[in-house]
Amino acid sequence: MALLEARGVVGGYGEADILHGVDLDADAGEIVVIVGPNGAGKSTLMKAVAGLVRVRAGAIVFGGEPIADAPAERMIQRGLAYVPQERNVFPSLTVEENLALGAHARPAETGAGMARVLALFPDLAAKRRVAAGRLSGGQRQMVAIGRALMLKPRLIMLDEPSAGLSPKFCALIFERVQAIARDGVAVLMVEQNARPALAIADRGVVLAMGRNRATAPGPALLADPAIGRLFLGG
Amino acid sequence: MESLANFYLIPGLVLGAIYAMSATGLSLIYGVMGFAHFAHGELLAFGAYAALVAVRGLGISPWAAIPLAIAATTPLAWAADRAFYARLRRSLPAVLLISSFATALMIRAVLYLGFGPTPLSYGTGIVPPLVWAGFRMQQRHASIILGATAAALSLHLLLSRSRAGRAMRAMADDPDLARITGVNVDAVIRLTWAVAAALAATAGVFLGIDTELQPVMGFNVLLASFAAAILGGIGRPWGSALGGLILGLAEELSSYPLLDGTPLLSPAYKTGVAFAVLVVMLIVRPQGLFRGMG
Repeated sequence: MALLEARGVVGGYGEADILHGVDLDADAGEIVVIVGPNGAGKSTLMKAVAGLVRVRAGAIVFGGEPIADAPAERMIQRGLAYVPQERNVFPSLTVEENLALGAHARPAETGAGMARVLALFPDLAAKRRVAAGRLSGGQRQMVAIGRALMLKPRLIMLDEPSAGLSPKFCALIFERVQAIARDGVAVLMVEQNARPALAIADRGVVLAMGRNRATAPGPALLADPAIGRLFLGG
Repeated sequence: MESLANFYLIPGLVLGAIYAMSATGLSLIYGVMGFAHFAHGELLAFGAYAALVAVRGLGISPWAAIPLAIAATTPLAWAADRAFYARLRRSLPAVLLISSFATALMIRAVLYLGFGPTPLSYGTGIVPPLVWAGFRMQQRHASIILGATAAALSLHLLLSRSRAGRAMRAMADDPDLARITGVNVDAVIRLTWAVAAALAATAGVFLGIDTELQPVMGFNVLLASFAAAILGGIGRPWGSALGGLILGLAEELSSYPLLDGTPLLSPAYKTGVAFAVLVVMLIVRPQGLFRGMG
């Protein structure tokens, strides 16, 4: 059984369903990248797993326990961390405070978590006392990912982590994502920047109109001309 | 110089300290829960009357009654939240604002029923002022300024050094992000009410000590509290505290006889200063004086 198993997920915002029976698997140490055109339901699927979107039908099981409709604030305790695309740092709090909040649920682990995160993102060490709102986009993304890693989650979900970043920062973020997965953490990532993301994906999931269109190792999807033409912009 | 300090600056600081405590609570509630709490003045009045009950019933001084006033006002704030605001948490801020206005009317009605409309006092008697090199300061004024300073320092330590304070600031920044980070939103809301109610109750007792107690005493400082909060940038506790001090000083100094011994503004109109500040700030700098200054 995979660490995360979603089967036939139906859900969306208000009365409107965005997801129409989506399946998704993610295993420990695996990088799973969800790609697809705008409106495909990529971010909605991730929010459904994170407990931020109501699941109307289907099942989401994490570590053997059903989590569909579990409160979002409890997910971090279960080992499931979510990094939204926008507004993913607390701007008036310093970098250190942002990271410490990542261990809010288990404060005794703050020191160990901080050391681990600063080893992964050493650039943040010099910015510890700087308000997160004053950082560049790439640095904010590091803080957001670092905060999600503070309690050593079993699954981290990243919604468009490379959005708006320079190519240098994109490469850095993807490299760190691989390092996180090597530590045994399952990484679930939604990306518009599909080609470089699929290049590092153990599993690529193509969504369109709220349904699964293809699932295969990332490089295999990249090599498929039909997928490239229909979903990856040629 | 002495008369400026004795009759304008010191009373201005005292009034400013009361406004600051009230505005800081308003600002915390706005920051964490996102609505303008119109019943805040009634929390202040309730605290003042709770202290009066303790003063009369236990024969203690109003200063010693402050913890009891806080202990009485905090459950009232929690009850109002649970009975009214929690149910409307996902509604528009205007809906919450109107419900808080209704809550204010209810609390005020209870105070009228319990204590009547006649002004009451703690009956602290006449205490000689502190005199130093021509400067005179009522002892109660010194205590109010010291008390407000202690409250400000305590709040600063809570917000900047404690885990709970960090969670409150995180909620004020982004409640949804705080939730997915694992912050217990309900616990933060309860703490915010407790802190805001404690500040309001203390400000109420201070106001009662400095003037007198009436059921409308809180409502009378509500406009100034909002003006102070907006002056400092609503949602920013430190800005609101500073806004309160500025406003208190401005109100008192507005009647200073700068020219020909005639007050700049008749003392009867000095409460209008808060209204003027509110209007000017909303037109010129609605984000507050200190927003964008780091």
